[in-house]
Amino acid sequence: MFMKVRATPALPATTVTAHAPAVDVRGVTVSYRSTPVLWDVDAELPAGRLSAIVGPNGAGKSTLLRAMLGLVPMESGRVRIAGLPLEQARDLLAYVPQREAVDWNFPVTVREVVAMGRYRAAGWFRRLGRTDRTLAAEALERVGMTAFARRQIGELSGGQRQRVFVARALAQQAEVLLMDEPFAGIDARTQAGLLGLFGELCAEGRSVVVVHHDIAAVRASFDHALLLNVRALGCGDAREVLTEEAILRAYGAPPAEDAVAWAR
Amino acid sequence: MGPLIDAIPLPYTDAVVVLGAAVLGLTCGVLGAFAVLRGRSLVGDAVAHAALPGVCVAFLLGGTKDVPLLLVGAGVAGVLGAVVMLAIERNTRIPADSAIGLVLSAFFSLGVVLLTYIAGSGDADQAGLESYLFGQAAGLLESDVAVMAAISAVSLAAVALTVRAMRVVLFDPRFGGSIGLPVRALEITSTVMLVIAVVIGVRMVGAILMVAMLIAPTVTARQLTDRLVPLLALAGVVGAAVGVAGAVGSTAAGLPTGPVIVLLALGIVLAAVLLAPRRGVLWRAGALLHRRRLAACDAALLAWHRDGELPERSVRALARRGWAEPGPAGPRPTAAGRAAIQEVLERRALWSAWLEHGTRLDLDDPREPGPHDLAAVLGPHRVSELRELAATNGAPR
Repeated sequence: MFMKVRATPALPATTVTAHAPAVDVRGVTVSYRSTPVLWDVDAELPAGRLSAIVGPNGAGKSTLLRAMLGLVPMESGRVRIAGLPLEQARDLLAYVPQREAVDWNFPVTVREVVAMGRYRAAGWFRRLGRTDRTLAAEALERVGMTAFARRQIGELSGGQRQRVFVARALAQQAEVLLMDEPFAGIDARTQAGLLGLFGELCAEGRSVVVVHHDIAAVRASFDHALLLNVRALGCGDAREVLTEEAILRAYGAPPAEDAVAWAR
Repeated sequence: MGPLIDAIPLPYTDAVVVLGAAVLGLTCGVLGAFAVLRGRSLVGDAVAHAALPGVCVAFLLGGTKDVPLLLVGAGVAGVLGAVVMLAIERNTRIPADSAIGLVLSAFFSLGVVLLTYIAGSGDADQAGLESYLFGQAAGLLESDVAVMAAISAVSLAAVALTVRAMRVVLFDPRFGGSIGLPVRALEITSTVMLVIAVVIGVRMVGAILMVAMLIAPTVTARQLTDRLVPLLALAGVVGAAVGVAGAVGSTAAGLPTGPVIVLLALGIVLAAVLLAPRRGVLWRAGALLHRRRLAACDAALLAWHRDGELPERSVRALARRGWAEPGPAGPRPTAAGRAAIQEVLERRALWSAWLEHGTRLDLDDPREPGPHDLAAVLGPHRVSELRELAATNGAPR
């Protein structure tokens, strides 16, 4: 497995975050043109836990993640990160976007991509200092991609690219990691490795929020789940939220039957 | 500019042209890279064509062929063209490439009409304005070059300051937004840079071919490097080199400057596309041929081992390597040939074992083993572990 267990945990979570939920979303409404994408969504994702956002296509999962980052204009509602308003929480957040939105032919190496995680902390004009370079190198080591540091990013496989993106988020030293479909198109071995790493991060007191499409996998390995279909249909312990009945409500049909109906 | 021009061992007017061409090439090479890397090269083409009516209007308003004045006109028209393209893209269902085509043809037609009108107006001062079509190096004044150099210095300084932010936004704009970068503003900056590159280049290269000066240096540099900063530096060097060579050559031969510069630039692109290490077409073809030969040898050795008979078409290849020699009943393996067969068999067995049991080795870092050098990649310790796994068919011992 590519994740090494660390003998010493990294930085302890800051004390402000100890009691507040990692992400607290209240009454969030977002529309594209006049169609609501998110409608009056309330959700509380606990600190130090592994949470999933689950829902059918077009449920607004990615939009909710981007709303948590302040990247989409909200019509109403508010977002708090570790008890702080977004403007004060920028440095607590790390975001792993979907891999489709990226130009993989861009002239940038794996090492440089991970170093991007340090740009905000290091400042935009100075050279990266020794600490920043060390943190980036450690992040790359932690996802087992050190041997690929000098590769152009597009020369990697899908799973390897995802690991580099996770390394970039690790390099940000964030308290709350928001990941959009990190498991899409990734083989079981890499999925298991990433899940193990997310578990370690939670053990360090960090919070990990993952948009996920595989309900069985969420039931099996996530602490907390938010079931979303434009509105929040349930938020709480993963196994309690993701009942067959709730999934039927969210998807209109169990996912498997849905696929069969489609094929007919 | 004075000392720089004195330092060039050429007559004064030629030295001015050389310096101007160097500034132009360097700036267009570096700034053009941002358009090419964003996949927006054709926006550069439209902006360059839009510069022509700008030059004409500036001449009509100002009444002189003063280069800085005309370049202001080119810049204003270029920005206008870019804004119109963006407006069409955002507010209509017209796709981006069609918007580019519309803006390019609309502005350029207007430019040609204005140019013809000015030529017919009998203004004695207008002669030479048509050089903005195909470009002209001769007749550039030292003061013109000084203006170009000043604009260039400012924009290259801007590139140096924003290169880190640009790298993030061009590669992964969503991540850029998440770390607080002003993504829209940076995208606008890169379009402004494109207009600046056009303004600096249009006098010498001409509106029609300007786009080649934006694209060619970056395409060449991209063949040679996988990193942004070396790419920008290389693009600048390539741009300056073809700019100077084209300006000197065209002036000496009495040819229009733009086409000469562009032909030189495209020659360099062609060479880079064919010959660049690892990426060049010829380079890759050579590597493929090499791998094919190796695979054919392996296959022949295996067939020989399996059937006891060497396929006719492989005899020469194996004999050349000293693996086969003529015998009374057809070719037979030499000692080296028998060793080669053994080596292929072992390599195959190890590769099969890797495919079947490789995941159980629990390598602590990912490696990319190939069938040809698996043993070297894994190291002797891992190889013996893998052989053991294969021997016990993966059963734990």
